Amino acid sequence: MSVADLVKTFTFYEILVGMKATITVFIQRIILRNRKAITLQYPHEKRDLPGSYRGMIALLKYDDGVEKCVGCDLCEAACPSRVITVISAEVEGEPAKRYAKEYYMDMTRCLFCGLCVDACPVDALAMTKEYEWARYNKRDLRLDKPQLLALGDRNFPVREKKLEFQHPNVAYFNIGHKNLPHKAS
Amino acid sequence: MAEMVTILIDGKPIEVEKGTLVIEAARRIGVMIPHFCYHPKLKPDANCRMCLVEVEKMPKLQTSCSTVVAEGMVVRTNTPVVDEAHKSVLEFILANHPLDCPICDQGGRCDLQDFSHRYTPTGSQFTDTKRVYEKGFFSPLIEKEMNRCVSCLRCVRYCDEIMDVKALANAARSTMTEIVHFAGHPLDCEFCGGCVQICPVGAITSRLSMYEFRPWMMKRADTTCGYCGDGCSLILETRGEKVIEVMSSHGNGRNNGDLCAKGFFGYQYVNHEDRLTTPLVRQADGNLHPVTWDEVLPVLAERLTQIKLAHGADAIGGLISARCTNEDLYLFQKFMRLAIGSNHLDSTARYGHVNAARALRRVQGTNRWTVSYEDIVQADALLLIGTQVTAANPIVGLKVKEAVKKHGATLLTLETLVPSIETTSNITNLSALHVAVPPGRHAAAVRGLVKAAFDENLVDAALSSRAGDYVSRIRAAATALPYPEGLDEAALRAVAKAFAGARRGVILIGQDLLQAPGGHESAVNLLDFLLLLGKLTQPGWGLAPLTEENNEQGAVEMGATAEYLPGPADVGDAAARTQIAGAWKDQPPASQGMHLLEMLDAARAGTLKAMLIVGENPVRSLPLSAKAASALEKLDLLVVQELFLTETAKLADVVLPACSYAEKTGTFTNSEGFVQKVRPGLEPVGDSRPDWEILSSLSVMMGYPLEYGDAKEILKEIRAVIPGYRVLGAKPEPAQVAAKSVEQYLTRGFAEDLPARYSAGAAPKANSHRWALAVGQTLFHSGAMSTKAQGLLELQHEGKLIMNPADAQRLGIADGDRVRLTSTSGEATVPVTMLGRIPEGTLFFPESFREALAGLPSMTPDPVTGVPYCKQLRVSVDKVGTGGASSGPPPARIAGGK
Amino acid sequence: MTSAFSKAAQERIPGIIARYAEKRGALLPLLWLAQEEQGYVSEEAMKEIAGWLDLTPPQVYETVTFYTMYNRRPIGKYHIQVCRSLMCALVGTDNLLGWIHAKLGIKTGQTTPDGLFTLSQVECLGSCGTGPMMQINDDYYERLTQDKTNRVLDDVKREGKCPLATGPFMFPEPAQK
Repeated sequence: MSVADLVKTFTFYEILVGMKATITVFIQRIILRNRKAITLQYPHEKRDLPGSYRGMIALLKYDDGVEKCVGCDLCEAACPSRVITVISAEVEGEPAKRYAKEYYMDMTRCLFCGLCVDACPVDALAMTKEYEWARYNKRDLRLDKPQLLALGDRNFPVREKKLEFQHPNVAYFNIGHKNLPHKAS
Repeated sequence: MAEMVTILIDGKPIEVEKGTLVIEAARRIGVMIPHFCYHPKLKPDANCRMCLVEVEKMPKLQTSCSTVVAEGMVVRTNTPVVDEAHKSVLEFILANHPLDCPICDQGGRCDLQDFSHRYTPTGSQFTDTKRVYEKGFFSPLIEKEMNRCVSCLRCVRYCDEIMDVKALANAARSTMTEIVHFAGHPLDCEFCGGCVQICPVGAITSRLSMYEFRPWMMKRADTTCGYCGDGCSLILETRGEKVIEVMSSHGNGRNNGDLCAKGFFGYQYVNHEDRLTTPLVRQADGNLHPVTWDEVLPVLAERLTQIKLAHGADAIGGLISARCTNEDLYLFQKFMRLAIGSNHLDSTARYGHVNAARALRRVQGTNRWTVSYEDIVQADALLLIGTQVTAANPIVGLKVKEAVKKHGATLLTLETLVPSIETTSNITNLSALHVAVPPGRHAAAVRGLVKAAFDENLVDAALSSRAGDYVSRIRAAATALPYPEGLDEAALRAVAKAFAGARRGVILIGQDLLQAPGGHESAVNLLDFLLLLGKLTQPGWGLAPLTEENNEQGAVEMGATAEYLPGPADVGDAAARTQIAGAWKDQPPASQGMHLLEMLDAARAGTLKAMLIVGENPVRSLPLSAKAASALEKLDLLVVQELFLTETAKLADVVLPACSYAEKTGTFTNSEGFVQKVRPGLEPVGDSRPDWEILSSLSVMMGYPLEYGDAKEILKEIRAVIPGYRVLGAKPEPAQVAAKSVEQYLTRGFAEDLPARYSAGAAPKANSHRWALAVGQTLFHSGAMSTKAQGLLELQHEGKLIMNPADAQRLGIADGDRVRLTSTSGEATVPVTMLGRIPEGTLFFPESFREALAGLPSMTPDPVTGVPYCKQLRVSVDKVGTGGASSGPPPARIAGGK
Repeated sequence: MTSAFSKAAQERIPGIIARYAEKRGALLPLLWLAQEEQGYVSEEAMKEIAGWLDLTPPQVYETVTFYTMYNRRPIGKYHIQVCRSLMCALVGTDNLLGWIHAKLGIKTGQTTPDGLFTLSQVECLGSCGTGPMMQINDDYYERLTQDKTNRVLDDVKREGKCPLATGPFMFPEPAQK
């Protein structure tokens, strides 16, 4: 054991490190009498949320108003608590193009882990900073596609530009093909 | 025993047969070598280069899918060199493969995806844009996305090697290789779905289930197909309350993973919106109204009991479809025989299979095949008589193709079709000797075959000495007849000679023979033929009747016909009666039961008061002249258990909703006698119940409880009662020819109807109607069920009369024109299409759309077996109108479905 | 039924098929025959050939698409094939294509509206020492300049041939007529 370690042992250095915040506030508030309020008057005042805050999940659109979601079901697969249900189908009028015909999120079960956002291959999902979603009826928390798109519209007014080719190396990613006959059923 | 060699793979020694491929040997010790183009069913092609391995003493890496093992070979699959090679090949493939997994239906079960994960490439040296194919319409059911293609050509090879269809081709070259049909036209083929199943990536997918699923979402149920008697194993993939798709895995079941259009695309009737969901009862206003089970069952039981008390048990008859499970069939006949007490019951095996079953029982003592599919594949001569095997029994057709193409068997065909290369396979193209037999003349052809056996001196010498009387009398009877008119005599004799000269041979017979006048006699005559050649009792030889419906074999064995008790045993067989009475703890009625047509006659006469019909629609299946509708209307009580409100159900007083095979537990017996499991993939639709459950509840209400906890308990009882069901295994032994029975036939049995069997029969009457019209199954439709399957309707949505192009040209008829058919008894107007395989002077009409022919009634009942023959007609043809727009290629869209 | 083949051509078919041990072997010569007849291989011709050789039409189609020298759509009366391989490219394939475009107004793969000329680019025609060059039907035109090209095209358009033709070269040389 070195000398430095010995000194640390005798001076309870680790404890001091752990209590750094407490001691600082104690000195500021009690000894120096600097009494600025730290309680926030919610809901009149709201906190600044960190950039990485994970609130309600939203579906996004491209700048031309077309929803980004391609209905790939990967969010459903990624979700650890089975929040998401995707029913995908072929786009009417554009055979071979896939989209989510129906999209449900049961927010009562959501952990806000963000795995669905990570999983999305087209960045169609995003976490907003909305959190005031207390409801009297829990059924109201089963959000459907229009609600999720509205969330997106509300929180992300600037939309991403749509690229015909998502990436120069990716040929035909969900471009759709006009004038082909439709799916059988 | 094959010669064995020992090789070392990754340090592990393994002993395999000589000729095994390295990739196969590796698989056996659990070393999976990545591959795309290799498939155990197909010949090695080694075009994807993914399966490279290091073999000691070979200078370069070898493709393990085309390298055959050799003694002392040392293979390494996990060295850095091999790994590097795999990575590079994968990089080449990914140079053009789009990263569109999120919208690809194969995502989650894609070989390329799996291998990419395994080698985790993080970048590519290719910076050019990927190749892009112009997307076009490929077909109504099969979708192709060529951007995803890895050019392994599995689909092309499958289409050629297994299906013998050759509808897919690889056009262009190098990077721009593309899977196409002819000249960019929409795909027109058998739609077996094999290319969808075998594609390792998402280049070829099914349009029916497109975008509706991810593999991990689906529940899978291993079950058995409900269309034909081939008994294919299916995997029903369901999501929620819906069947999403059907698959079949390689190495599994009697079909070994191969399916036909009906099996692969014909599942949607299960979720059809017209399915009955509640019981319906005809009420005072004369209409059917929905009621609950609790309301209908007691009332129904009371009505049945009243009729039984008032008119006797013999006033009640029953009819069941041979598409039901063995459990349903067994309980149905037990219900009829015990709870009702009547022997008047029949099943749809009456439409043809009874002919074959009776003949087989009479001669060889067992109603089963004495051969199996393996014997068909191993046979070196196959004789097909009136089978239309590709359309009616596609998987047996594949076995025949395998025998001919892989094992070099000699195919002999006595079929209506003539060789002609089209985009669906035609079994007669493969035949070494083909005799064109017009519809209705197959029985005559069979008599000619027996005569040929004598004329060519093919009779077994041992038999002649053992049963001289039999041989001489058959000789006298058969040779007294002339060779059938209009058939090629020399070819017929050559067929008999070629067949007799084989080491192993199987005769396959189908509906053209069994569902035509003389069906029963022809089956016996063919057994004569086998006996005369001395082959019937030899292993690998046999007569194999193919069945139209999936469980006709089971229907006969469960005793769901008037003449048979479970077993099948004759109703009058004392020993069988004692045994069954022991199991049932009650005597089955001894009276002679009436078969279907007799029941209809009795109903018309007013002696039959009530009928219970399960899953069958006689009003549609029988031609108008059978007057089924008027007979059923006369009944006091008609009960129908059905999936849909059929023509018969519309006449019923009580309609009970039944479950389809996708919702039932049970077993089906296929035509070769394999008893296979049916497992439910779905919960029953609406309030529907399995047929056996309905009958069971009814019996309880009638005071004769036939109670079972589940279908397995019924199977247990079946296994106790029927000897053939005691061994239910993966590989039951084929039934054996009973020597006693053959002896009896040779000494006495043959003589009883000898003159009838060898009479020239009614020669085709030369009347003004010179066209022979055959009604039969097509590749895409079988029965009425398939016309509720959206996918199959996309392929064929209306019944079109098929004629030879030369005939059509002579009459000035174009595709899509309408013609009027006139027979002695009526007329009908139908659209026309052309196929070269239909011989000149012959017409063909798909049986599933026979409503269109309702105006052409014609039916001849068989005097012995009561089989209604209504599939061959003679008609005249007149053109009445041009088709106009409907003759064009675009497939018609049908409303409804999802 | 009308055939894509003339009577004379149809008479040659059995002989061609008989040359090969397997029927399928006659596929390429029969396709050539079809191309000789119509200038291209039509779908009808492919179907007929499939019928003779016991193949399905897709199998014939895959062969036709594999070989670049079978035309799948009608071409002009004169088929201009410009060599685009390395040697010719170095001395001016692009220039040559430009001259042809200036003269006839067609680009690679196109046919003039009067149906006389079709332009295509092909791989090496074996005149590496004398590029840039083009082949019109069976004749070679080498060491082309703009003037020469114009003259060749004018002559061919007017008379169907041009004295500047320098081929075809064959080895061994065919016997003198």
